[in-house]
Amino acid sequence: MSSSTVDASASDASSMPQKRFSNLRSVRWRIDLGVLPSSPPASIDDIRRVTADTRRRYANLRRRLLIDHHSPKNGKASPDLTVDNPLSQNPGMHELLAPLVYVLHFDLDHLTQVQKLYEDLFSDEFDKISFPEGDFLSSHRIRRVNNWESGIEIENNLHKICSDHSLDELDPDTREMLLLSDSYGAEGELGVILSERFMEHDAYFMFENLMFGAQGVVSMASFFSPVAGSNSILPPVIEASSALYYLLSIVDSSLHSHLVELEVEPQYFALRWLRVLFGREFCLDDLLVIWDELFYSANSRYIDNDVEFNFEVLCSPRGAFIAALAVSMLLYVRSLLLATETATTCLQRLLSFPQNPDMKKLIEQAKSLQVLALESNILSSPCQTYSNKNQLTISRGYSLPSASALAKTSLNVIPDRYWEEKWRVLHKDEELRKQSNGHSSSSGIMKKILTKRLSFSRTNSEPFEGNNAHALSSVRRRLFGDSSEVIEVAKDHVKSECNESPVISDNLNVGKGFPEELADQGTSNCMVEETLLSGHNALVVSTHTGPHDIGNDHENESEKSSITSNSFLGDNDEETISMEESCSQNKQDEESTNMEEPCCQNLDKQLAQDAEATSSGDVDSIPEQIAAPKDRKPFAGKFQWLWRFGRGSKEENQESKRLQNAGHVEKDSFDISHCDGTYTSCGINKRIEVGDKKVMDTIRNLGQSMLEHIQVIETVFQQDKSKCESLDNLTNNILGGKGQGTAIAALKELRKISSLLREM
Amino acid sequence: MAHRVDHEYDYLFKIVLIGDSGVGKSNILSRFTRNEFCLDSKSTIGVEFATKTIQIEGKTIKAQIWDTAGQERYRAITSAYYRGAVGALLVYDITKQKTFDNVQRWLRELRDHADSNIVIMMAGNKSDLNHLRAVSENDGQVFAEKEGLSFLETSALESLNVEKAFQTVLMEIYHIINKKALAAKEAARTAGPIAQGTSIDVSDSAGGSKTACCSR
Repeated sequence: MSSSTVDASASDASSMPQKRFSNLRSVRWRIDLGVLPSSPPASIDDIRRVTADTRRRYANLRRRLLIDHHSPKNGKASPDLTVDNPLSQNPGMHELLAPLVYVLHFDLDHLTQVQKLYEDLFSDEFDKISFPEGDFLSSHRIRRVNNWESGIEIENNLHKICSDHSLDELDPDTREMLLLSDSYGAEGELGVILSERFMEHDAYFMFENLMFGAQGVVSMASFFSPVAGSNSILPPVIEASSALYYLLSIVDSSLHSHLVELEVEPQYFALRWLRVLFGREFCLDDLLVIWDELFYSANSRYIDNDVEFNFEVLCSPRGAFIAALAVSMLLYVRSLLLATETATTCLQRLLSFPQNPDMKKLIEQAKSLQVLALESNILSSPCQTYSNKNQLTISRGYSLPSASALAKTSLNVIPDRYWEEKWRVLHKDEELRKQSNGHSSSSGIMKKILTKRLSFSRTNSEPFEGNNAHALSSVRRRLFGDSSEVIEVAKDHVKSECNESPVISDNLNVGKGFPEELADQGTSNCMVEETLLSGHNALVVSTHTGPHDIGNDHENESEKSSITSNSFLGDNDEETISMEESCSQNKQDEESTNMEEPCCQNLDKQLAQDAEATSSGDVDSIPEQIAAPKDRKPFAGKFQWLWRFGRGSKEENQESKRLQNAGHVEKDSFDISHCDGTYTSCGINKRIEVGDKKVMDTIRNLGQSMLEHIQVIETVFQQDKSKCESLDNLTNNILGGKGQGTAIAALKELRKISSLLREM
Repeated sequence: MAHRVDHEYDYLFKIVLIGDSGVGKSNILSRFTRNEFCLDSKSTIGVEFATKTIQIEGKTIKAQIWDTAGQERYRAITSAYYRGAVGALLVYDITKQKTFDNVQRWLRELRDHADSNIVIMMAGNKSDLNHLRAVSENDGQVFAEKEGLSFLETSALESLNVEKAFQTVLMEIYHIINKKALAAKEAARTAGPIAQGTSIDVSDSAGGSKTACCSR
């Protein structure tokens, strides 16, 4: 009954060509778990033969165990049984077995019904064939047919049908099912793949292969091994728990550090998640969909023996999927988790996962994280180029599957984690380094998809408190890094212009203990989405970060950075895209208003024309050269209050933040100033000579995206308005009527500009 | 929006539930926190968590209760599990002598891993199954006195003494903390004022782990 929906969602989610035996989960699982042969697509006869073999083996095993159990009564037998009988003493093990038995049962019922149908079919009700599903519900009478006999009968039927009508009219799955239930052949009844008589045998081998992993990496039994006591090796379940935290730290360091700060150790919740493979977190139908994916991921070792890796569990796709799904679940309840203030409440949330979750979203995310988990598990080589390439590959594989799905999410879901994750993926090194500082940070990135090809995304820039200002751009160099030379140059540049660039380290607790929406909005920055950079075109990317006071010394810095980026332009051929992003941050202490940290960074990245590294080819449509001169907008300062507001009322210090992102199409004398914050503004400062139509498309898309940005901000405004009453004095100070008015006026301006852009 | 003020309590106490597998810890917990009882509840895997807020002498006490799986063999969590715990409910099953015998082992575990000042309540659960009783109430009482524990017989099924058991523990903790806070206040009078309500620092007077539980 529900199987059809479950199956449908499963195959939807998998987005791959229909798997074999898509209607017969038990057969698929037996193949995926390695009980039955899979590759190369085994013939029905092969499968039948193996089926018969395993059943014989089980029969022997059972006979032996029953005899052994009865014969040697050494007095030691009974305590051993309570300890070693896997199903009695280990809470959860039987919960791994139950779904296996269930799917076997389910498919048998299904078979029975189909057989019934085909019997009816013979009594010339041929019309029903096309709607087999409809009949299942109506036929309550489940007649247990003897598979043996009916199998033959059906075989005959099939031949008849074949001769009379085209088999194509039949559901191919149904056809296959009938073939599977046929006892024709050398093995006779033992070879009937779907057989009620051998359900115990079949369940046993599925269970065994699940528990022991069939020579693969993940063995569920190991998750039940004693975790206390042996200090030598990390118990597998603890290792897997650590692996999922590791993965989380890569994709969402703020959530990770929140959990760490609350002292929520991963095994507190992961023990349950892992031991019963999420069986307690989801209803059965959802669980089956998860297991579909989980088993479909091979359990064989993915990493060569000589390669160093972080986590054993992440060495097979299946293990990686397990960790990825766990992280996907964490991200799914991210805002709830961030709102918790104690370990207990946080863990309560973690162990009461929402009912009826969006399975598709969960699984899609898990699948993209799976790729990341596998890749990041390989300890990268010291060679910079290699690791950068590696990261790009990761991020691409990681981002692509979910991009379309996420793009559909409504504006209310402002801080889409996708970009945030993406961003983090690219900067995991920095994040890791940051964590060693023991401080949390939040880096929110708001999603922005301008077009499918060209995407801008805002990352947040972190609030700067105390000590030295940090250079965001250095964090982001990975984003653009594909050519090690450029990185070196950029690095030098950073060094020369920066006091220190410990990257977004310390003090960055935006969004910590605070609902993510606000926190994420409160942060702002510009990020050139990597797909933009990864076309066949060479790119120059210049990222500039530095604090400045309004109308102050920033001019110099921006000029510098412009120069830098221009210098790179020369190296490239016509199809060079240069994006320059200028991000300025200013931190003002309450006491000393104009304390400025002289920090400025320029990062200039050039992506060489490396077809491989830039395989996405997305940028084909932007063949023009885009440079990015500074065109600062005075808006930035006006958003200070907003920024502070976003930081949460508890914070004493006020951070102000200005961001500018400027893009300039040189050839077309086309200037775009993209002033970003959670508050985007774009200004067209020069005329546009209609050049390439594609560029125009891009611009229109820009305009469209801008409008989206604006709507987001407006939404936030509404929320903030209603919220601000509940927040206390600080908010009121910040939200002076004047500030708000200005901001709204600025928004209106932005709307105008965006409509201008769109109309081009 | 998701930001709910979680400060609506004066004290935050962590209580751990321990005892052999199958003595009814999880049902004691669900009875206390949700007033629920489930006859065929699944066995706990790892740890489960619940919170409940109660009033003691006009103060709001938020109890965070950690309920661990009884299978000692699989304790992944042991030392961290007790970290910051200020109270423990040590449960046995009055119909199973073995679970009572094991109380001694659980006490040892508490002494090894938990704060030395942890308040312990021993609970003989399943008192509704009087006809199957294997441990007399008196045995429990004697043992508790000997070990300096509080003691109650409880029935999660009949909702007997469950609330009382927790309240007793929480009350005792509250009084201890209060005493310490007062002492600390006295001591700190010269050193300066204490931030009101948010953090009462008692770490000087006793084991440092106490601070975590009563701060905020």
